[in-house]
Amino acid sequence: MLEHVINGLVLGGTYALVAMGLTIQYGIARIMNLSFGDTIIAACFATYVLFSSFAISPVLALLILVPAGYAFSLVIYRVIMRPLVARAPDEGALEVDSILVTFGLLFVIQGVLLIFFGGGYTSYSFLNTPVNVLGTVVAGNRLLAVVLSLLIGLSLIVILYRTRWGMILRAVALSPQNAPLFGIDTDRAARTAFAIGGAMAATVGVVVSMFQTFTATAGVVFTMKALIVVILGGKGSVLGAVVAGLLLGLVETFVAAYIDPGLTLAAVYGVFLLLLLVRPNGIFGKA
Amino acid sequence: MSAQLEISNLNKRFGGLVAVNDVSFTLRPGEVVGLLGPNGSGKTTVMNMISGALPSDGGQVRVGGVDITRMKPHRVAKHGVARTFQLVRPLPTLSVAENVLLSLAFGRKRHWGREARDLAEEKLAFVGLAGRGEEQVGNLTYIDQKRLEMARALASEPELLLLDEWLAGLNPSELRIGIDLVQHLQGQGMTVLLVEHIMEAVRALCSRCIVMSAGEVIAEGESGEVLQRPAVIKAYLGDDHA
Amino acid sequence: MKVQTAFALAAAVLVVLALAPLFIPDYWTGVLLGMTGYVTLATAWALFSGPTRYVSLATVAFFGVGAYTVAVLNEAMPYPMVLLCAAGIGMALALVVGLSTLRLAGVYFVIFTFGLAELVRQVVSWWEVNVTYTMGRYVFLPFEGRHIYWQLLALAAVTLLISWAIGRSRLGLALKAVGDDETVAAHAGVDVTRIKLLLFVISATIITLVGAIQAPRWTYIEPSIVFNPTVSFMTLIMALLGGAMRLWGPLVGAVPLFLLFEWLSVSFPDHFSIILGLLFILIVFVMPNGVLAKLEDLRKGGRA
Repeated sequence: MLEHVINGLVLGGTYALVAMGLTIQYGIARIMNLSFGDTIIAACFATYVLFSSFAISPVLALLILVPAGYAFSLVIYRVIMRPLVARAPDEGALEVDSILVTFGLLFVIQGVLLIFFGGGYTSYSFLNTPVNVLGTVVAGNRLLAVVLSLLIGLSLIVILYRTRWGMILRAVALSPQNAPLFGIDTDRAARTAFAIGGAMAATVGVVVSMFQTFTATAGVVFTMKALIVVILGGKGSVLGAVVAGLLLGLVETFVAAYIDPGLTLAAVYGVFLLLLLVRPNGIFGKA
Repeated sequence: MSAQLEISNLNKRFGGLVAVNDVSFTLRPGEVVGLLGPNGSGKTTVMNMISGALPSDGGQVRVGGVDITRMKPHRVAKHGVARTFQLVRPLPTLSVAENVLLSLAFGRKRHWGREARDLAEEKLAFVGLAGRGEEQVGNLTYIDQKRLEMARALASEPELLLLDEWLAGLNPSELRIGIDLVQHLQGQGMTVLLVEHIMEAVRALCSRCIVMSAGEVIAEGESGEVLQRPAVIKAYLGDDHA
Repeated sequence: MKVQTAFALAAAVLVVLALAPLFIPDYWTGVLLGMTGYVTLATAWALFSGPTRYVSLATVAFFGVGAYTVAVLNEAMPYPMVLLCAAGIGMALALVVGLSTLRLAGVYFVIFTFGLAELVRQVVSWWEVNVTYTMGRYVFLPFEGRHIYWQLLALAAVTLLISWAIGRSRLGLALKAVGDDETVAAHAGVDVTRIKLLLFVISATIITLVGAIQAPRWTYIEPSIVFNPTVSFMTLIMALLGGAMRLWGPLVGAVPLFLLFEWLSVSFPDHFSIILGLLFILIVFVMPNGVLAKLEDLRKGGRA
């Protein structure tokens, strides 16, 4: 029982991280990024290569891949997203355009991964030593994943709520039309937000690869779950993303443990539907 | 049944803010009544509750004796209430004529085909857009977009017309045209509720006025008299002028 | 062009297409078959997603449901009944999805459809493994390629006819209005939710039927074959290339792209999805309203 709670929290923590990244991109840069999950999977494979070919520990890989994720997303924003932002007459048009373009990007990233790594399940063994937590045995890599998720999630929250930069980003999220009146460079804010999202994706990729097997085509499911967490938590709410992520992780782990591992996505959808009916604006959304 | 529109004890809260507090008033058939008040006094919220865009938190809206309080916007439209929007909202992928056809096809009656096209042209001619049905709405000037907004509202063949600052933003000569149009409607017996800031228009059009401030009705009566009341002047201009 | 002339012309083309398999090699009948399938899918997709701009990413969910229903039922009842069942199941699924998401903002719909295919695939797999103890099924129906082709051709013609009729009706006008501004449409008297639901269900039912009719081509069917996300992607890109707001748009996009994909999947099987993705991004950039709109713009530009 406790084992499932801990595993659920580990999984939920990563979902929360994914959703935080996605909600920052969607809330501030106004881009619904359907290729988010595939960026995560790319980071998984990159960690795998660094670990198995260059013997670089995943913790050190974070130092390489997080800036790489930031840079990659920055380039994507400059090359692909900015022209769309510039031409969109309103937010709805940008939403549709960004959904379409990132849907295309999803297939590109997936295609590249398939060429290099094929379609099979990949994993590596790192820190697979059992650790005793409150009488339950947990794998060391999972424990490390929790610690890393917590650290990174918390530091993001601190940045968003305690620094000047965070305030600027939140101002743009709240009111993109008015932010320029206060001397805020919205283009820069959007670009930074999109890049931070990419850095988050890289982080999650590294963390997840430590304890889970992954395939080149698994990105869709990640994006799907993250989108649901974003909606459940309320669009743009970081705290909501954390709570909803943990909730979803627990639900999924318990369904996998007590009903059937093949029905986890169905369970996630079930929770999504139920909440849509009860609270259409998310757990923390405003009416 | 003497009231065209009967609003009783209408309430609306947004979180902790009371936007509309216990508002009641009635419009007799064929009356043109002004709904006035400073920005944020709750006029548009009342309009939105009448047209079904916002659910009310209490109270009742009756049109022609029928309770429409809980009706969805499309049902309210079919029941004979049409509205214009504060900022014009023409439908850009539709032509000028199609914008009007939409209301004809889904309004109180289901006009379609040849008959509907003739009626659309008739409505367009009435607002001063004769022969311009095939144009793209993006090419219309501001006053013409306002005209289209009116034509689309009239095309659902309403008994009650809600005009939300329809005359705002027009220059003096356009304003004259706009006022004439509403007077023309009045001559045809249309009941109109007019949210308006332009006093010239209110004086010219409205026999009666209802003034709101901070979500409540603070004055109601014959236009000339109501606009002189100290409470109304105070609400608009602040204490110094009272 | 007068309506009668256009109809006569369309009927003539239809007859030629229907007779084609009698004169051309089987390989080309297969190409025509695949092409007709995608023309139908793209046209059906655009029926709902074109005017309303609610991008549906769930094409293969319905397509797969249709194909899998045939796989399960093909020996249990006569073929027309099987098709009817498939259509019914697709319709019911669309109703559930539509009722739960179309009352809300468009983004909920996109998110829901994004994972729907994967969800249905997992549920079907789970059901087969745990309840029926089968993985993979055989379709034994006495159909050759051209029989399937004729059925698809008929469905394509009906779909285009439906699209044409809706475009001329009150419904078509209401759909365009909903795509522009739902609030204005509602205040003009349009029951926005009902219209969206109706069109989504019609579109999804046709897509389900395409899957059902094509099922006998595989002979052997398992969930990962019929719920292949590339189908959703190709449908979307075809409709967008031609222009999802126009009657002939999806067809104009589907024919060249299908041929291109056939060639690509043979010549560059490994790079298929990369090329597909890049091509798609290019289309969104260069011709967001489709090639027909682009041509119109160019013609207008040339005249001005």
